[in-house]
Amino acid sequence: MTIDIGLDGKVVSEKGQVVATERTHRAASWLGLGRMISALLIALYAAFLLLPIAFLVSLTFKTRDEVLLGRFLTDKPTLENWWKAFQVIHLTDYVWHSVVIASLSAVVTLIVAAPATYAAVRLRHGAFLGSLALSSYVAPPVVALLPLFFLMRWLGLLNSFPGMILLYGIMNVPVAYWLLLGFLRKIPSALDEAAWIDGAGFFKTFLVIDLPLLAPGLVATGLICLILAYNEFLFASLFAQDDSVRGLTVAISLFQGDRFVNFGQMAVASLVGIAPIYVIALLFQDRLIGGLTAGSVK
Amino acid sequence: MTDKLFLKGRAGTVSRGATAWLMLLPLAAALVLFAVFPSIYVAALSFTKSTLGQPFRSWIGWANYYWLLGGGDRVFVPSLLRATIFAVVVSMVELALGLALAVRLTSLRRGGRLLRSVLLLPLMTPPVLVGVAWKLLLAPGGGLINGELLSLGLIAEPVSFLGTTPWALMSIMVADVWQWTPFVALLAYAALRQVPDDVVEAAWLDGAPPAAVFWKIQLPLTAHLLFAIFVLRLIMAFKIFDLVYILTFGGPGNATDMSGFTIWRTGLREFDVGRAAAQTVVFAVFVSVLLTPLLWLERRTEDHAA
Repeated sequence: MTIDIGLDGKVVSEKGQVVATERTHRAASWLGLGRMISALLIALYAAFLLLPIAFLVSLTFKTRDEVLLGRFLTDKPTLENWWKAFQVIHLTDYVWHSVVIASLSAVVTLIVAAPATYAAVRLRHGAFLGSLALSSYVAPPVVALLPLFFLMRWLGLLNSFPGMILLYGIMNVPVAYWLLLGFLRKIPSALDEAAWIDGAGFFKTFLVIDLPLLAPGLVATGLICLILAYNEFLFASLFAQDDSVRGLTVAISLFQGDRFVNFGQMAVASLVGIAPIYVIALLFQDRLIGGLTAGSVK
Repeated sequence: MTDKLFLKGRAGTVSRGATAWLMLLPLAAALVLFAVFPSIYVAALSFTKSTLGQPFRSWIGWANYYWLLGGGDRVFVPSLLRATIFAVVVSMVELALGLALAVRLTSLRRGGRLLRSVLLLPLMTPPVLVGVAWKLLLAPGGGLINGELLSLGLIAEPVSFLGTTPWALMSIMVADVWQWTPFVALLAYAALRQVPDDVVEAAWLDGAPPAAVFWKIQLPLTAHLLFAIFVLRLIMAFKIFDLVYILTFGGPGNATDMSGFTIWRTGLREFDVGRAAAQTVVFAVFVSVLLTPLLWLERRTEDHAA
């Protein structure tokens, strides 16, 4: 097909039909210009997001003297910080503690939240309990800090793995309930109704029909709760100080107050601490973004 | 009608109501442990003289509250106001930046996937480590920002960003904006995707400049969702603790004291658990009074839009 562009700005095909007008041209140029500006601004913003992490990486290769120059690049990179950081603190232990506590607590969260979501959405009972859970999320966590400290001490759960797993497991229930609500509402209820008519019990329907369909949502929710637990600091700083359960965030907070620590080792510890979370982020990117946006947009 | 049908069920199956309540039991227990019990306990503690070792040493009536609100405590009330200013400012900045970013994302053709990975990073970084990273960036000796400003000749000597007002509070805000703008951007992007493509494309084809498309079409159609995102961020921002702890520890003086941190210090550094409990009660009431109208408004706009 040949196309002529007339002097009036109209684009005319060989059959004489007007394909586009000047306005479309203007639209196209707006879009072209807009895209270039967008790309540029986004690139700048991405650089801003990467800057602190990139600076941490560059610090790990600097000697104490070179750190003080405050420059980004270094002339003679050294690997000394990397092996020294692991000697100065039991980094791998702390990361391991955090990983164990965070992943098991995510399982606890799902065991509590998933049946509740099903009862509220499908069985239409107890939605007010769900709303109560959601409104409890508004309260700052510091409200529960002292009461839970006395409760956990009374139960002998301070500085213990079961204590931290239960604590985080319960802490994240409102978030999980909210996310699962979004996921469950997207699954048609016709399958449940068919199962009920066929005489399947309500709980069995949940196990056999809804859980498998909900699996992607459960994975996304579980990962988000895992990350929230891994990142938590306030409760951990009071309930898990002991070296035997101490997680990464508490270890780093103590480490950074230490006068003998240099920036390079601090940066190594930070990067090693973030690594497990970033691996999850890269592997499950789509799931996580789907999960984060599940509750907010219906 | 359908309800009745299911209620009968097969002989031997548990009724709908009973099943529902059994399935809600763990949630109810969780709520008792994490919401009901702490509220009652902390309220009771606030009327006592208590320490970590010995809670409920003696009942002292309203004395903690008199001390708190009657001028005895010079730190707490300002910390409430500071936390409010902090929460409102960062939530607004994050919404504006996040929305701008989300709009650009919708017109982006390539590189979306890569960009989303970059967006996830700050969001998933533990706040403690966000604090550490920014502390290193802002450090007077060896921090990148001071180093670059010095070598460019913009400053004569290093600025102690975390040790001087108003830089200290602003530094915490910058770190918070760094961490949470991507979260807002992802949510706002999902909200913008709710606007049907053909509406936006029709406007483009009619030659509407991008600004008009945004202000006349995208914004009005997503306003209720964006408001919900703002309220969510506001709720989260009031919880600020980790960044204060790592970056400034409330200092210089009390310039970055925000309630979550103030309460922690009263209870766990000054060991006055009774006063910390009274501060907690005031903080919780303050936050709910402030947020309840917003949450109500959010529900209203949501119903309206639906």
